[in-house]
Amino acid sequence: MEKKQEKKKQAREKEEVIAYRKGCKAEGTGLSHYILMDRKEK
Amino acid sequence: MAVAKDKSVTGTTAPSRGRFVNTGNGPTFQVIDIDHKDYAAVIDPDTAFWSLVRREELADFLAGDLPAAYAKKKERFAREMEQLRFGLKPSAVYFNPTERCNMNCTYCYIPEKMRHHGRHMSEKKLLTALGILKGYFQRTLPKGSVPQVIFHGAEPLLNRKALFAGIEAYGKDFRFGIQTNATLLDDEAVRFLRDRQVSIGLSLDAPTARIADRTRKNWEGKGSFDQVLAAMDRLEGYEGWSVICTVTRENLQHLSRLVDFFHARRVPTCLMNILRCTLPPSRGLKPGDAEAARRFLAALDRTYELYQETGRRLPVGNFANILLAIIAPAARRLMCDISPCGGGRCFVALAPDGDLFPCSEFIGMNRFRGGNLFKDDISAVLQSEPFRLVTGRKVEQIEPCGRCAIRHFCGSPCPAEAHEMNGGMNRTGAFCEFYEEQVRYAFRVIADKKVDAYLWEGWDKGLKATFDIK
Repeated sequence: MEKKQEKKKQAREKEEVIAYRKGCKAEGTGLSHYILMDRKEK
Repeated sequence: MAVAKDKSVTGTTAPSRGRFVNTGNGPTFQVIDIDHKDYAAVIDPDTAFWSLVRREELADFLAGDLPAAYAKKKERFAREMEQLRFGLKPSAVYFNPTERCNMNCTYCYIPEKMRHHGRHMSEKKLLTALGILKGYFQRTLPKGSVPQVIFHGAEPLLNRKALFAGIEAYGKDFRFGIQTNATLLDDEAVRFLRDRQVSIGLSLDAPTARIADRTRKNWEGKGSFDQVLAAMDRLEGYEGWSVICTVTRENLQHLSRLVDFFHARRVPTCLMNILRCTLPPSRGLKPGDAEAARRFLAALDRTYELYQETGRRLPVGNFANILLAIIAPAARRLMCDISPCGGGRCFVALAPDGDLFPCSEFIGMNRFRGGNLFKDDISAVLQSEPFRLVTGRKVEQIEPCGRCAIRHFCGSPCPAEAHEMNGGMNRTGAFCEFYEEQVRYAFRVIADKKVDAYLWEGWDKGLKATFDIK
């Protein structure tokens, strides 16, 4: 019984929902999967 | 190109206030199991909006505050995806300065005849080509944007003199990269490329010569493993290099060991690209979808363990890109896993005779030749029928992708495979479950708050929060 309650408590403490999104200007810099290029500006 | 407002996406087609999930103008959410003990993912596939919801809270979630909060942002996210999918301009060129290669790798997508007997682009032509490209990008890209030229192959260093002349002459106009088999990457070449901050990609498929040389060998059958290791030694301390491993049935079971190998050798980043099955010879090396996913995810686990043990990351670029596509769709760097893919709209491939193709995967296929750099206007080439075949391939028109919740995290790659292997642009490529499992893994990474371990340092620099439930 105690174990069950502890589990419930832990569940409450954990976030119910995780939802986030980040944005930036899509600059048109896109590559195929062939090579990784650093995005640093010259 | 103006960004079209799709009313079915922005939710203005019916006299509904959009108060309820999955009816009227309300958000359309699909629930997917991500194999996590606590969370399931809830996704609006059209906008690539997601949330992770505790399994036991799913029913309450539908009537909770989050759908309403999302509804206020939905149009903005829809516009973001429209811009990413249809509003970008080309800014990179895969530049093949030679048809020839000193290797005969089993899975190469360039026809063997070209690689064996092909021609180099002359130095004069190469400089002319860069001049034409410079002029084009100056007219089309925003001020301050620096386009990218990636010398690609076949083996670009077989035409080293011309290639280095191009880098020397146009170093201020492009960010240059080179993808090489490393067999010709001697001290002098490394010094030249490092001094000019050229990104360098090497190719290596396994941590031992016995396995690596099965697929990557020269025309006499001798493998390149030792030469690649020597090149890796020469590149030590340089930040701008990476290694590409092509995942086939030959090296699949060694991917985790390869992670250890790369990490020990301080490889800054790697790619573990699943084999492209565009040409028939490569299909003989195709691993099973489920097995490929299992081994690949085990390799990702290993990168996490090493990060925990040493504090040093080894980002696997193709997975990092999917993770980033979920967290920040517009920040993705690679454009194979978005639909339409980047071929012909974010980048083009230039063959040594000046012919232009939407992507290197199509080089040698006349049907996909859009025109010639030296004869045709690039803008007209981008609008040519061969290019439109590729840029018009939308995930919504592909079964089962059109009803798949993760369609904008996977993009149903690749059009060349779909066309050549499966018979049409409205078909899937060679793999599906491989991508399903990667997306599920990415959501588990997010749920367990391990994102930083899988991306490069400073990955969120310049990104702004556009939604946060906290």
